[in-house]
Amino acid sequence: MRIAVVGLGAVGARAARQLASTEEVEEVVLRDLQSARVDEIAGSLGGKARPEHGPYQAPADVDAVVVASPSGTHVDVAREAIERGVPVVSCSDLVEDVRALLDLGPEAEARGTTVAVGAAFSPGLTCVLAAFAAARLDAVDEIHVARIGTGGPACARQHHQSLGGVALDWRDGGWVRRPAGSGRELCWFPDPVGSADCYRAALPDALLLVPAFPGVGRVTARLAATRRDRLTGRLPMLRPPHPEGGVGAVRLEVRGRLAGVSTVEIYGAMDRPGVAGGAVAGLTAVEAARGSLRRTGAAGLAELVDSGAFLGELARRGVKVAAFAGS
Amino acid sequence: MIRRALVALGVAGVVAGVLRVRGTGGTPPQQGGWRELTVDELAGSDGRSA
Repeated sequence: MRIAVVGLGAVGARAARQLASTEEVEEVVLRDLQSARVDEIAGSLGGKARPEHGPYQAPADVDAVVVASPSGTHVDVAREAIERGVPVVSCSDLVEDVRALLDLGPEAEARGTTVAVGAAFSPGLTCVLAAFAAARLDAVDEIHVARIGTGGPACARQHHQSLGGVALDWRDGGWVRRPAGSGRELCWFPDPVGSADCYRAALPDALLLVPAFPGVGRVTARLAATRRDRLTGRLPMLRPPHPEGGVGAVRLEVRGRLAGVSTVEIYGAMDRPGVAGGAVAGLTAVEAARGSLRRTGAAGLAELVDSGAFLGELARRGVKVAAFAGS
Repeated sequence: MIRRALVALGVAGVVAGVLRVRGTGGTPPQQGGWRELTVDELAGSDGRSA
């Protein structure tokens, strides 16, 4: 199989590396607006890499496309791929991107292909964890996502902007909009990350989780931030972002019922967001190229993958998940 | 001038207090902790998607 990676930032480069190390993948087509970056990544991947320099006149002729370019640029690439019946894996966590990609669902379904939306660290791994937790419950009542850390510079800018937007929560059958930066909650992430103050932000998680869990009462998503982050969310970034990002984590809390008893399942993962996000995107692309995603159309990973098998394969690729047991 | 400075400090203090006290502080876990899931545990789950 041949898979293209469009956008070779922190997440895209890691996705390309994951694909190159997958036996089934014969060729990894690399595309980025920065030619030097294409050559740099191609040089590190070896024989499977096929660098393609812009400007790009036509979509790549491949079995799946990973779109890891900066947020706001995913929809056009996805549309071109869908028109050729090629499955798309998008890593964007911008609310507008996620909405527009989900809107491509009917067209993707008509062409018998799939758009995997929000397939990175969070959303992405968090969606798979939600499905994994839900499999242990008879009914899901609430899902709460929290994240800390960023991938590369584009991810850091996106997170900064999300603290200046409008947060989208799902509550009792309807959408609730609240100011980003509100709703402080102390969240406990897997060690050694530990605890962090988390706030509402313009995050797309609820858009992907609500359709995946019909009947769910509440879905929220929060982002770890400092008070300075909150106060400057509506301003341009005052400092250049770290090129790689540090260690991050996600925490997923699912509340529901098992045999009539209220139960809470808590899962998490600790890793560099760019590394874990690239692994999730790469593995999703392999599944898409194999034709083993669970449905056509556009959806998050909670609807598309076998959660246990997916997490098991991620663990083999170095992305480990943990469960919290205690009170 | 001094009165204005004191008013400004007072307002700043109120704002800081509001920022500090809003939201849930949370309680640290009293017992238990995080445990890594093994590949066997993941593969052995019923593996449903949503």
